[in-house]
Formats: sequence, C-alpha cells, structure tokens
Amino acid sequence: MRAINIPRDGLPVTTARDMARDDSISGRFTLKTEVVVIGSGAGGSMVAWELARAGRQVLVVEAGPYHPSSAFTEHLGDTMTEIYREQAAQLNSTADVLFPEGACVGGSTVIGACVMQQPPDSVFRRWSEELGLKNLAPQVIKPLFDEVGREQYVHLNEAHEINTTAHKVIQGCERMGFSWKPVSRNVRQCALTGHCLAGCPSDRKMSALVTHLPWAVGHGARVMADTEVTRVLIRNGRAYGVEAVVRDPRTRQKVADLRIDAEVVVAAGGAIQTPLLLQRSEIPDASGQLGKNLAVQPFVQVLARFREELHGFRGALVGVEIDEFIETDGYMFFSALAEPEQLMIQGNQGAGPDHINFMKSYKHLAGLNAFAIDEGRGEVKWKGSHTDGRKVISWNPSRAEFEKLKHGASLASRVFFAAGAEEVYLPSFQRLSAPSVFDLDARLDEITYGVRGMYSLRINSFSSHGTCRMGVDRYHAVTNARGEVYDVKGLFVADASLLPEPMASAPHWTVQTLAKQVAQGIHARGQELFLKG
Amino acid sequence: MNNNNLPTAGLEPLTRRGFLRAATLTGMALTAGCASLGGRRAPDGEAVYAHLSEEEARVLTRLTEILLPTEQFGLPSSTREVPTVANINDMAGDMAPQTRDLMAMVLWIFERRPMASFRFSRFTRLDDEEALRYVRAMQAGTFFERGLMTTLHTAVCVNYWRDSRTWPGLDYHGPVTGIWGVRRLGNAPLPTA
Repeated sequence: MRAINIPRDGLPVTTARDMARDDSISGRFTLKTEVVVIGSGAGGSMVAWELARAGRQVLVVEAGPYHPSSAFTEHLGDTMTEIYREQAAQLNSTADVLFPEGACVGGSTVIGACVMQQPPDSVFRRWSEELGLKNLAPQVIKPLFDEVGREQYVHLNEAHEINTTAHKVIQGCERMGFSWKPVSRNVRQCALTGHCLAGCPSDRKMSALVTHLPWAVGHGARVMADTEVTRVLIRNGRAYGVEAVVRDPRTRQKVADLRIDAEVVVAAGGAIQTPLLLQRSEIPDASGQLGKNLAVQPFVQVLARFREELHGFRGALVGVEIDEFIETDGYMFFSALAEPEQLMIQGNQGAGPDHINFMKSYKHLAGLNAFAIDEGRGEVKWKGSHTDGRKVISWNPSRAEFEKLKHGASLASRVFFAAGAEEVYLPSFQRLSAPSVFDLDARLDEITYGVRGMYSLRINSFSSHGTCRMGVDRYHAVTNARGEVYDVKGLFVADASLLPEPMASAPHWTVQTLAKQVAQGIHARGQELFLKG
Repeated sequence: MNNNNLPTAGLEPLTRRGFLRAATLTGMALTAGCASLGGRRAPDGEAVYAHLSEEEARVLTRLTEILLPTEQFGLPSSTREVPTVANINDMAGDMAPQTRDLMAMVLWIFERRPMASFRFSRFTRLDDEEALRYVRAMQAGTFFERGLMTTLHTAVCVNYWRDSRTWPGLDYHGPVTGIWGVRRLGNAPLPTA
C-alpha cells in the first residue's frame, strides 16, 4: 500500500531558479521517466493524475512559471503580465483577434472564468454515429463527464452567485421570451470577489493548481516549470522522449538544455501550442490536417449602460447563460463584467472627455458575451526551424461567421434594451453605441465586413480547438480515437486539439473528460506501451 | 454601405501594408509591467526611458495627455501621478524584438500621419484641439487607421486604468479577498470513489 500525501497548500514544483542553484545540474542534463506530460492545464493535469494514481512514473513539464495561488493579487494587469501567454497579447496573423491563454503551472484553468458546459447529447451521437468515434457515444462518455464533474465541484450557480449584471440579463431574457439558466461552474464555496480572470487567491476556483496537480503529486508525479519542450523525439515510428529548454522566467535567459527519455509522451499544451510542437517535431502527417481545422469559438462583448448603479463587477464573474440558441444556431451568451482594464478590449472607447465619461459609467455597466460556433477553418503553423521559428495563427471571420457574430451582438443588445438599458456599446473597432433599440440596426449596419472582416467587430477567442482532430481515418485525422498520433506509437494528445469538429460549448469540461479517457486508454495498454508492463 | 472604403474626413489615405503589420501591436495593448516611477529626466526636463526612444516617449506622452485629460475629471494625472508611459516602457522592455520593431513603426507613422492634413505638422506639434480631432479622425478612419488607433488607445488606456490609484474615481473596489478576510481553502481533497 502506498502512502498518498496531498500537499495541504501549493505544489512542490522544480523551477528554473531551483535548477540554476543546483550545482549538480550542468547546462545540459537528461531525465528519465515513464510518462512525460507536456502542459499542466486542464488536459495535462488530468492525465498526470490518472496515470500517477495508476502507478506510473509521471513528469509534468510546463513552459510557464509557477505562480502559487497565494501570490495572486487580484490585479488583472499584473496577472496578465505574469501568467498570460505573451502578456495576454497572443494574436492572429492580422493582429485583430486576441487569443488569451494561461501560460503558467495550471494553464488556462488558472485564469478561466470557471464556466463548465457539457455539449448536448446530439453532438456526441453525431461524433459516434457519423464520424465513427464510438468512444464518444453518449453512453460511453457521459459517465466520464459525471466523474469529472464530481472531481471539479461542478454545480449550477446558486442565487447568491448571480450578480447584478446577470440579473439584467435575466430581466431582458424574460421580457424577450428567451430561455436562460444559471451557469455551471467549477468552484468550491465561491467568495464572490469577481476576480476570476486574475486567478483565485483563496483556492476556491477548482483550477489544476488546487486539484489534479496536487493529487498527481500526491501519487508521486513531479512537476517542472519554466521548461519549454522544443520537440518530441521520434525514432522508427516511436516517441521516446522530448527535448526542452529551461529558461529563467524573468530574464528569459537559458538555464539549461534538457532531454527527457520517456516511454509515453503526452502533448497537452492546448489547441494552439500542441500542433506547433508536433510541427516542430516533424511528425508524419498523412492526413495533412495537423494544425488545420482551428475552431476558435469567437466571441464579442456587448456592454450596456443603465440609469441605476449596478456595480456589475461585484460577485461571481459569470452568473447566467442564455441557452435559447445553442442547439438551433450555435450561440452561447454569458453574463460577465470584469475589471476596468478589461473594458479596453470590448471596443473603441472614445478619446479625451468621451473616454473618461465612458469609464466613469463603469458602475452603471453590465456585460454580455456572445459566442458563436465557427466553421473551423483556421490554422496554426510553425514557420522556421524548431529552435528559432515563430508561430502563425491564421483565423479571420468568413462573411457568414461575421454576420453570425454581428447577429449575436444584436441579440445581446436587444436583451439589454429589454432590461431597460439607456445605451448599448457595440463591439467594434469604431466607436459605436446605440441609444435605443430603434437605433440599433442602423448602428450595427455601420459595422461592415470590409476586407476579410479585419478591424471590424472586436473579436476574442478563449476556446480554440480541433487542430489535431481525432478520427478513425488516418488520412482524415491527426490522432486515432485513443488520442494517439497516427504513425507515432507512444505519442498522445490530450487537450482541446482533439475535438473532431467545432462545437458550441465551453470546452473545459469536455477537454478534461477526453483527457481522462486518453489516460485510461494509456493505462489499459500498459503491457504494450511500457517496458515494465 | 461599406465604411471601410470611405475616405476619412480630414485625413489622406494611408498605405495598407504598414498598418496591417503594425497592428500586431494590439497585443501590447493588453500588456504592461508593474507601475513604476517615471523615467530619468534629461537635462531639458524630458523623461528618459530605457526602452523607448526620445521621440517614442514624446509621442506616447502627448497621446496620453490627449486620450486621458484626467485632471479635468478629478482623477489622478495620467502623466504626473500614474506612470502611464513608464508602464508602456516596461512593457516594451519585455517585447520580442520583432514586436518591438513594429511598435517603433506604429509610433513613427502615428507621429507623421497628420502632416498631410494638418499643415505639415506632426502629432506632437498639434495643439490640444487639433490633436483630439486627429485622434477622432483616426478612430473613424479606414480599417487600417482604426486598427492602429485602437492599438495605441488600448496600450495607453490599459496602462493608466490598471493603476489602483485610478479606481476610486470609478467606484471600483479593486482587490477584496484581504479586506474581507476570505480564508484560503488550500488544495482540494482527493475525490472519494
């Protein structure tokens, strides 16, 4: 019987500073493990825990720094500087769509808004019956969702978790006849601070920092931060480890080159970083789909000003969702109003006195984010050598996607006007607002598609997926139904890259569930994949 | 109506290529280092920043004055109290070289863009009224101009509003966990089977 010691608080993480201080580590060193997991977010942490508790020797490597929750300050600006990828400035190739991601131990689970959604059964039926992915049939996958839900304390928001912003959405929905419901979130005894995007300093958000990573560590897994995997090592169609570089997170100076020999490699860096890693690693790609089919689940934020003071930034960040249009049109709407800095990415907020007056109205504002399912036509590409190349994220809205998002903005605006808004601010690179519902269509008409939809709607993406899609045909998909990369034995993917198609659902819960399934599949094939069986 | 093709009132058309590339700086709009004190002072009194050229600092300082006339509204000064430009300087120090080059280009273009329409004057030489008119014209301009202007606008405004001294003016409470005495829960217990 093994002793399982879950750390009470924080994580034992090996950082670049630790390595720099250790005289026994030279500029180049090698480690050995059974499983190396690349990335410590929703997918990686789940795989680490599942395999560690199954008795496997697991090493988690994370490119970002370790930022314990005790160090969170509830200052969004500071957090963006410290633990968001590229200081929250990861952009598409035309620099008008933002892709915020966590780049730290715990990944995006640390900075997410806690929204947990399950795609409807119809999605899984289609993936099972039409795409042949029997592992995703509702009767197979739903019990795993339930298991993850229990691990993550997923629950419907209760009355005290629905703030004034959310109440305005509810009022509007009830007048419009739209269906709404409280959002499901993975949070334990939420303290209602409203600072989700800046990390939860009291450990109430069930991020990987306080769940699967400490649980994995309790079962013997090790975690390294500041360690960027540059490529997966492959010989004779078999992955046998990775190469990585350890850098000081402050100075970006290299501390060491590292090689990790492993019998199983699991890539879990998310739908943008994982395909880049596999491209750098020059994996065989018979399907030609690696990095393609990028679905971004684009969203725009509509802000509304009300006569009364709402202080809509207080309380749980995300309170309610409008579920009227998910199955019919692929729209998701979530109430949310974050810190003042966040308003700058909503739209063009005027200049001079106009801007100050807008900001002064902050306590009168409510926010509603309109997400739309997209066509999955984007692409992530690594250009150049594996050591000094660069990534290119290509996604701009098609005309149809643009019109869909604009219609989403229109619906969100109407909900707020129905709730009594005095002015609605539209998500545009122009300065646009509508003083009444009667002016709304004319104002929206001023947002035009133009050239590839560039600098028109102010679009963001939190939920990229599909860039290493799973499928039963190696000429059509990057991984098989078990998440193993075609033609590279022992190399698995366990993140949002796996999703076979664009979906209209916040992907966090689905990613954790798929990762659990991938990990259990690896464990089940222990005799085949591991030397000691 | 496609407003992307409309000529901008008061501004001559710009080339497309430069703005497309330059606009990658939208990223910098969301970044910044911790608030630190302003740069050193040169003998002529102008602040000197480690990661901004003199001209860049001058353009950003003037743009901050125009975008954020905060003192008229009882808010902390965007140039003397809140180190808006110093924050941008910190941010520039952490940028990848390629992004930093683009930032230089954006500021260079923004400074010289008014020459065709404002009596051959650079942005930093426009008076307050003209400078605000120029900024508004850029905000309503072609999609390239909107992209560039939004990028700079966001960079400046994020680096002002992120400072906690600005929050009382918005009735924004800022961090509350400490004030409320919210205790830390620590790691979640292992799930039971």
